[in-house]
Amino acid sequence: MKVRLPMLLMALLVLGASLTLTLSRYGYSFQDRDAIQAASSPLHWSGTDELGRDRTVRVAAALLIGLTGASLAGAITTLIAAAFGLLAAFSNRAIAALLIFVSDVFLSLPWLFLLMMARSLMPLTASPLETAVATFLVLALLGWPACARAVYSGALNLRNAEWMIQGHACGLRKRQLLRMHLLPHLRPLLLPQFLICLPAFLIAEANLGALGLGIGEPLPSWGAMLLEMDNSAMLMSSHWVYLPIILLVIVLLILESISTQVEPHA
Amino acid sequence: MKLVGTIAVRAGRTLLLLLAAALGTILLVRFAPGYFSDPREMDAKYSAVARTEMQAETGRSRLVNRILLDEAESWLKGDFGESRQYHIPVVKLIGGRARVSVILLAKSILMGWLLALCAALPIASLRGGRVLCSLPFTVLLAIPTAAMATACIVSDSGGPVLVLSLLVGARDFKFLRSLLEGAWRSPHLLQARAQGLPTRALVFQHILPNAAPQLYALATLSIVTALGALVPVEVIFTVPGVGQLGWSAVMNRDLPVLVAVSFLMACVVGVAGLFTSRSLTSEAV
Amino acid sequence: MRNFLCSIFLLTGMTIAAFPQAAPRQPGELAWAIHYDPSTFDPVKVDDQVSDLVRYLTGGVLLRFNRQTQQVEPQLAESFQLSPQGTQISFKLRGGLTFSDGSPLTSADVAWTLRHVLAPATKAPIADEFLAPAGVSVETPDQWTVKVHLPKRVIGVEKIFDEIAIEPANHPSEGRVTAGPFTVSEYKRGQYLRLARNPHYWRRDGTGVQLPYATGIRLDIQNNREQEAALFLRGEYDVVDGPSPDYYGVIARKSPGAVHDMGASLNTEQLWFNQSAQAALPDYEKTWFQNRGFRVAISEAIHRADLTRIAYDGHATPAYDFISPANKLWHNDQLQYPKENVAEANRSLAASGFHRSGNQLFDAGGHAVKFSILTNAGNQARQKMSSLIQQDLANLGMQVTLVALDFPALVERLMHKQDYEACLLGLSNAEPDPSSMMNQWLSSSPDHPWNPSQKTPATPWEAEIDKLMQMQASTPMQAERKKALDRVQQIVADQQPFIYLVYPNCLQAISPSLHGAQPAILTPGSVWNIEFLRRDGGAR
Repeated sequence: MKVRLPMLLMALLVLGASLTLTLSRYGYSFQDRDAIQAASSPLHWSGTDELGRDRTVRVAAALLIGLTGASLAGAITTLIAAAFGLLAAFSNRAIAALLIFVSDVFLSLPWLFLLMMARSLMPLTASPLETAVATFLVLALLGWPACARAVYSGALNLRNAEWMIQGHACGLRKRQLLRMHLLPHLRPLLLPQFLICLPAFLIAEANLGALGLGIGEPLPSWGAMLLEMDNSAMLMSSHWVYLPIILLVIVLLILESISTQVEPHA
Repeated sequence: MKLVGTIAVRAGRTLLLLLAAALGTILLVRFAPGYFSDPREMDAKYSAVARTEMQAETGRSRLVNRILLDEAESWLKGDFGESRQYHIPVVKLIGGRARVSVILLAKSILMGWLLALCAALPIASLRGGRVLCSLPFTVLLAIPTAAMATACIVSDSGGPVLVLSLLVGARDFKFLRSLLEGAWRSPHLLQARAQGLPTRALVFQHILPNAAPQLYALATLSIVTALGALVPVEVIFTVPGVGQLGWSAVMNRDLPVLVAVSFLMACVVGVAGLFTSRSLTSEAV
Repeated sequence: MRNFLCSIFLLTGMTIAAFPQAAPRQPGELAWAIHYDPSTFDPVKVDDQVSDLVRYLTGGVLLRFNRQTQQVEPQLAESFQLSPQGTQISFKLRGGLTFSDGSPLTSADVAWTLRHVLAPATKAPIADEFLAPAGVSVETPDQWTVKVHLPKRVIGVEKIFDEIAIEPANHPSEGRVTAGPFTVSEYKRGQYLRLARNPHYWRRDGTGVQLPYATGIRLDIQNNREQEAALFLRGEYDVVDGPSPDYYGVIARKSPGAVHDMGASLNTEQLWFNQSAQAALPDYEKTWFQNRGFRVAISEAIHRADLTRIAYDGHATPAYDFISPANKLWHNDQLQYPKENVAEANRSLAASGFHRSGNQLFDAGGHAVKFSILTNAGNQARQKMSSLIQQDLANLGMQVTLVALDFPALVERLMHKQDYEACLLGLSNAEPDPSSMMNQWLSSSPDHPWNPSQKTPATPWEAEIDKLMQMQASTPMQAERKKALDRVQQIVADQQPFIYLVYPNCLQAISPSLHGAQPAILTPGSVWNIEFLRRDGGAR
């Protein structure tokens, strides 16, 4: 019952954003050049940005794109971290050592260059959506090592827990042990990792704009809107500049509420 | 004997990690776009000089094995080669900066952990409203580093230590709160509370010792997070540390500096990994 | 709860203690920010703008190109004479000159410095400006006279001496022993550079007071423009050299008297298409980009007034020409160029074989007109311009993708691989004379952006530009040079190899407590007369 309220709020948010996008008279890329950084008005509910584009529509579109991209990427990276960590914990010593070695090497390398290579392999005329997908995918594939180590250590401790031994003795197969016992105990590691990934990937996507990746213009980027807050001139121009971050905090609170209610209680 | 063996194995693994990091960096940097380019080529005044230098560089480093030999030679000499940007030995460049970064990291990780632990302990014990009480940390996660820096600059307070501590603290808080929620609800703790044990004893005699293995695991995660956040913090606040040098080296494709920075990163990751393995059983690697 | 509060106090205390303080300012010291470390203090090896600034502030030069009057003035040389054929220049040094360490400065030091600059082993960037440095010889008839023999005339040769800092013979000191107003005294990499006053500087002001007025200069290495603006407003910095339009606005709001918009600079922002035959592009795209009608249509479709108003916050001037109107000596006032007119642009495209179907433009072969515009990341104004242009071209039915790359990757695509379609970049013109632009306009040059290193000119108009530019570089007659350059400007306006967008205005922020500043458009704009600058209460 309790889980339903945050999920309802999330659904309302997504629905609201979709309706804003479809019903608004302005597209997300339309530049009203006579209304640059305009204050909120009946025409533009939350004003316009520095190119005269309606902020409400752009924030709505950014929310949908960013939420989809960052949460899928976060889910993928968390799954990879979980799979890697569990594989290492349940393998023999040699394989575990090799896997942990691989994750340590991963952590030490400057992956920015791989991102540059990825951009150079894509055609320059790749659409903004294609570069967005490529960016989130690459972020998902590179974000797992740190958490994998933590999952490995956590799983190693749980491997020899009494209830694991009993479950094994009762005839439960590895898959069942994993699903029914191990994963729930790893939730305290995996769910925060997913929650942290969301804003981290949004901002990373925006920062990767400097390498030619990220969500290309004129598609709105949630991360880029968050990064606008580093400019005091922007902060002074309008209070609506804070709208993207308020929405992000709301989304994170909703996701956190869902995850808190899903975790097992003693 | 067994101790000597363990030390030998760990030392060997760390050495292998350093070599793999160096090799990986050389390959990534050499084959990334822009290695044989110089931004000065766009400046009519300096383009001829830049072009001559790039031609010399191309001759020197077109083949990967040549780069590997040059790097190996510079490590054996002890100066880690000459920086492409600054034309001084890399070891001289990194020396002073490493100290600045280590101090910044140490202060920030310590303060981040203090903040996270002191907030997570009481919040995790709450029956309801945990999400709302965690709101400040959720907001910290959502604010980009650059925006935090601007807030510090505009309000003329705070600095790189504060921003990095908040970044590390916010992330650690999420994990710690999750971990400690389980700990607060464990049966033996419920009984101890029912028997009237004071909170300080609950925390220091039951919760922290039992959570110690997972806390060690989180320590690695925390150090790695702090290392990742170090670069934007140093760049934004213009702190003359290894992070800022590394970023400048990436933008200028300064291979010798990047190899040295990867080296350092591998050392830290290797040492941080030792913390985790110390906490595990003898079956741990 | 108590523990939580204690930790907050501890954190705050440690943070306040831990905040790194800027180096304290010494009395009479000027201070401002530079954005990266100078690559060298050796004046002959200068190869970036910050090192150039340090050389300007510390180097004693024979002649100085006055940034305000744009005339060459004697400095260490009391007088100079250029022979009528332009192959000999004689300098007469002032009497009693010394370096900052007190040692005498004579013609031997000048000769040594010039020979050092010209020597091939030194690889000094400035040597190339002599055109044939190997043929240049230097003689010193006596200790106050230096004669430089040039194998061929170099237009504007006097200005080259503005960039040659005289060093003690056989003892180059990398800026620590100089004959200029300041010397390099302290350098902390990544933090700051300190310059100290030269106690033996030759120059005095009108009342006989020895210059410079300031006791020193501190240049903070500060990459964060927000921090730079905040420190300027707090009085920690005396100038902000070339603030971006938004930080100009921030400073103007809090200190309106401190900001100066000096109108159009000499720099240009332009868009160009890859016209290289070797480009790895489909043939139909090469056909578009090599088509004059296509380029002209694009120029006509771009609303430059919007670019200046929106991307630069009004601090830019629409551009149609590579010579800025601020360059009064060389600007072609009678230039005929394609005016903004979307209807005309559509007609131009139709005449070139393009047709429209719905919202999409197609070429004669049925290919949809889609291309990318490449630019460098990190320049806000340029990225806004790209977005505005993207919309303007969408009105013509063209689908444009915007790609921002870091500089090395951009240079590789532009200059090495020619792997791009269109590029939007800016060009800095450090000086008004068109001889400094030769590399850009000669078709055989590797710096000829749209089609570099041509063995023979690919088009008749490029051949004509080559001829005219070479002609203006070989004659000292101003009228002939102007006529040639006017013709080059007209060819460029007709053919649109570069679609000029704006001239960014020259913006400066100068602290009200700084006296003597007379900002100029040429770099170093606000500190070109550094000897005469001083702060309130900072007089020696």
